[in-house]
Amino acid sequence: MAKRAQIIPPRADLKTKAVNLRDGFDMRLTPEVVRKLEEVVHKSRDAFTTDIAERLVVMRRLLRELRPEPEQQREMIAQIYESSLEIKGAGGTVGYDLLSQIGKSLNDFVAEVSQLDDRQARVIGLHIDALYAVLANRITGRGGIIESAIVEAFGEARRKFRAEESAEDNDVKPAATRERDA
Amino acid sequence: MPEKIDFSKVSFLVVDKNPLTGQLIRDILHVLGATDIRLADAVKPACKELRRAPVDVIIAEHHLVPDSGLALIDWVRNSPDSADRMTPIIMLTANSEEDYVVKARDMGVTEFLAKPFHVEGLYRRLVAVIARPRAFVNAESYFGPDRRRRQVPYGGPDRRRTES
Repeated sequence: MAKRAQIIPPRADLKTKAVNLRDGFDMRLTPEVVRKLEEVVHKSRDAFTTDIAERLVVMRRLLRELRPEPEQQREMIAQIYESSLEIKGAGGTVGYDLLSQIGKSLNDFVAEVSQLDDRQARVIGLHIDALYAVLANRITGRGGIIESAIVEAFGEARRKFRAEESAEDNDVKPAATRERDA
Repeated sequence: MPEKIDFSKVSFLVVDKNPLTGQLIRDILHVLGATDIRLADAVKPACKELRRAPVDVIIAEHHLVPDSGLALIDWVRNSPDSADRMTPIIMLTANSEEDYVVKARDMGVTEFLAKPFHVEGLYRRLVAVIARPRAFVNAESYFGPDRRRRQVPYGGPDRRRTES
């Protein structure tokens, strides 16, 4: 017989020690506090863009040195998954929303592959080139019409060149998906 | 008078493998007045910190290596070594697709915030976990915040499989 769940009432100790009527910050952020917090984020922008630039250098080198051996390809894909995930998370946080969009597109693409054919490698290369262009031209926000078209085109490329059904038949799961299922 | 939050009274543990992100969150919390902010870059050192001294709020990334942030949530909620099973946990992660959110929720996360994030979003989650604590559910297969976000009156028949 299934046991009934126990509901434990909310614990008030943290609220009791931290919430008061005198000291601290309002429950709703004031514009002044938002500005101060955004200054902190802005100050970190250079460090994040340097980090992203270094990741792009590494990803480009990995792609250039790509070999057909499955193990080497899996390692490369895993590294690109890692870096693109970081770019996805960091770009928009520091004002480079387009970096996050393209980073997400790249991350979604490599999450579905475990081996690369030439076309898929080319798709990855184009993503990396686009990320370089965004950084080099300091395109903040989501960019304009051209940038939107590029992001849409990447979506089409992902749909067209994603891992084939035969990968599932051979019980080969992309490394990133294996991690997600764990 | 409106209520205020004194963040200097709140201790934090930030768990992220990117030191820049950890530093950024720490800097944001500093501006809010927090002084007790610890950093860890993986699940094992995070657990070690928590065994040393519990914190009031944990902010953790999902994508940690070698164990994911879900393992940290599991440890906090279910490990006999966990000093405080009801510690609020905010998952702040770029792994923001639905299945990640569902898994984090079902593991016992308190709040979820996707990266890239804006400071207002982080602040709202901090207010939620500090000023609006949630009830917890202790069931056979789950220990964590009550996952029901709304209380909706139900006038129909009781449909539980068993009564006890």
